[in-house]
Amino acid sequence: MILVAFRNLFQNKIRLVISVGGVALALLLILALDAVFSGVEQQVTAYIDYSGADVFVSQEGVRNMHMASSALSASVASKVKAVSGVASVTPILYVTNVVVADEERNLAYIIGLPPNAAMGGPWRVVAGERIPSDGEAIIDAGVAEKSGIGLGDEVKILGEEFTVAGLSDGTATLINSVAFISKRDFAKLRGDPGTVSYLLVKVEPGGSPERVAARIEAQVSEVTAQTRPAFAAQERRVIKDMSTDVIAIMNLTGFLIGMAVMALTVYTATLSRRAEYGVLKALGARNGHLYRTVLAQALISVALGFGLGLAFTLLLAAIVPQLGTNLSLLISGASLVKVSLVSLVIAAFSAILPIRQIAGLDPAMVFRGK
Amino acid sequence: MESQIPRSKSQLPIPDYQSSNSATLKVDRVTKRYGSGATEVTAVQEVSLTVAAGEIVLIRGPSGSGKTTLLSMLGALLKPTEGTIRLDGTTLSELAENRLPDIRLRQFGFIFQDFNLLSALTALENVALVAALAGAKGKEARKRAAGLMTDLGLKERLNFLPEKLSGGEKQRVAIARALVNDPAIILADEPTANLDSKIGHEIMRLLRRIAKEQNRSVVIVSHDQRIKDIADRVLWLEDGQFKEMVTMATDPVCGMAVEREKAAAQLELDGVTYYFCSRGCRAEFEAERRGQVVGDRLTLQVGRP
Ligand SMILES: Nc1ncnc2c1ncn2[C@@H]1O[C@H](COP(=O)(O)OP(=O)(O)OP(=O)(O)O)[C@@H](O)[C@H]1O
Ligand SMILES: [Mg+2]
Repeated sequence: MILVAFRNLFQNKIRLVISVGGVALALLLILALDAVFSGVEQQVTAYIDYSGADVFVSQEGVRNMHMASSALSASVASKVKAVSGVASVTPILYVTNVVVADEERNLAYIIGLPPNAAMGGPWRVVAGERIPSDGEAIIDAGVAEKSGIGLGDEVKILGEEFTVAGLSDGTATLINSVAFISKRDFAKLRGDPGTVSYLLVKVEPGGSPERVAARIEAQVSEVTAQTRPAFAAQERRVIKDMSTDVIAIMNLTGFLIGMAVMALTVYTATLSRRAEYGVLKALGARNGHLYRTVLAQALISVALGFGLGLAFTLLLAAIVPQLGTNLSLLISGASLVKVSLVSLVIAAFSAILPIRQIAGLDPAMVFRGK
Repeated sequence: MESQIPRSKSQLPIPDYQSSNSATLKVDRVTKRYGSGATEVTAVQEVSLTVAAGEIVLIRGPSGSGKTTLLSMLGALLKPTEGTIRLDGTTLSELAENRLPDIRLRQFGFIFQDFNLLSALTALENVALVAALAGAKGKEARKRAAGLMTDLGLKERLNFLPEKLSGGEKQRVAIARALVNDPAIILADEPTANLDSKIGHEIMRLLRRIAKEQNRSVVIVSHDQRIKDIADRVLWLEDGQFKEMVTMATDPVCGMAVEREKAAAQLELDGVTYYFCSRGCRAEFEAERRGQVVGDRLTLQVGRP
């Protein structure tokens, strides 16, 4: 009967293309959106991932960077440095602001770096300085290119003019970029030289970041200390929380479109072969056989649609980065599992109506010529 | 029996195995009513019939007389309102609905007027599918189907889709499909209606030989006058009941076949009854026999046997 399913499907090529194509596009909608957000989630932690810090210390209760503000008294740095297992501490200042380059405003994480910062600076510099001196800024190379500026040009950050002294790579995401200025400039502009935002902590070689983080929280009051992976996970959660609703709506849309296309094609395909199913019944096929045939048709079409949708998404993921955008698509295992389940549900649901049709067929009708 | 049907070159070969499956079908006072109340239709009324193994029964009758209804009940496609249908020891009319598919699959072979092949499957697959439904493994099913179809002269057509086959070929595929699970009984509703008369005749002879050589019962419903000679028995169904069997006679004047009961005229002469298509023919016959010469007509008729 699986053969019948295959043959029925492939006999009407146009219907097959419509149903498989329709499902593929619907699933593409789900897969691609998931991939976009997975990509953003990954990009958003780039600064944390490449910071070089093992432990992040923040104001008590602050667990991430995006849309957060953390203030620590400058004196906390020496207390953290004194905790056993801590090799070095780099204080940074941080705020979300804009880099204005040639009238163009680019949302950015602004990082204030101390001179000779061991951690927290740009991780790949394509031109110029690695650490900004006073009056200098290091900005993302892509942002600079887009705004048509280069080394030595002026940009406005936190309302003040800075000279571009370095260009970094990998510091831009779909939504923002990272710009570095000196900690002294940052503090001066904020008018508060006594506080820092985060302390980046390097643990001694062979030491456990978890244990060091726990010790910091125990010995230094009013701070939260998290390992880099924990801090990054918190950051991703913020993005996830923001995107959940959008993803849910798009998933539902994709699911409904896929379902509608599939249900309609499986239904019409079955209806157009009503007489043949009647013949099979008359010849002695059991209802179960016929149900399986219909279900197999739905499953095969949906599986083909899934494959095609995945192929489209992979193609998109490969092409999009070539287009010079900061969009990156990341297909996650969880997303694949989810879309597979969605596909199964689509197949099962779209087979229900046709199966009911077949159940009601009277085998005696075959002698009446339909 | 076999000797009555000469084997000629043009005749289709048939599978030469003897059915391991023969059975007697007994119909006892079966009635079928459709609908209820004012719209009730009695399609078949108290019909009794026994079909022996290897027997060919032809059921004829006017349109709407209940032929298809009766055939559907014989094939366990339709439950009688009253009466019983027995296949050897099994009372089909009392079986639970879920036992019927198996009976249809293994005990009956169905042949339809419009062939009813699955359009997406090749000829071979159409036949093998039905073997597979009865539990044959894919390869075995195809082998059995191919063997049967080769015997039916379809060796070159195994992988053709139905749309690429002629009517006669399609009906032979359908016959192979009907035979593939070695059924005891073949049921055919107007199997030749969509075929030209030559092919129709071939199909009928094929059915006859299947009955005689393989000892299967064959019940055929047909309007087709010309096929009555292949049947062991011809039954006339009218208003849902078997009426006295129609016997045919030949008009001695014009040579036309006429039903005795419906002959326009008849004449008894020297203890023999003659039937005529019209009074004109009878008058001519009488004139000729009684030697009353009317003009030069007689001379014209003289040469006639
Ligand atoms: N499903 C049904 N519901 C109601 N009435 C039916 C049904 N099937 C058949 N009938 C009626 O039963 C009677 C017998 O029909 P049937 O099809 O058995 O006749 P038939 O002898 O096969 O006719 P034909 O030679 O035209 O095929 C007809 O009056 C028909 O209208
Ligand atoms: Mg009929």
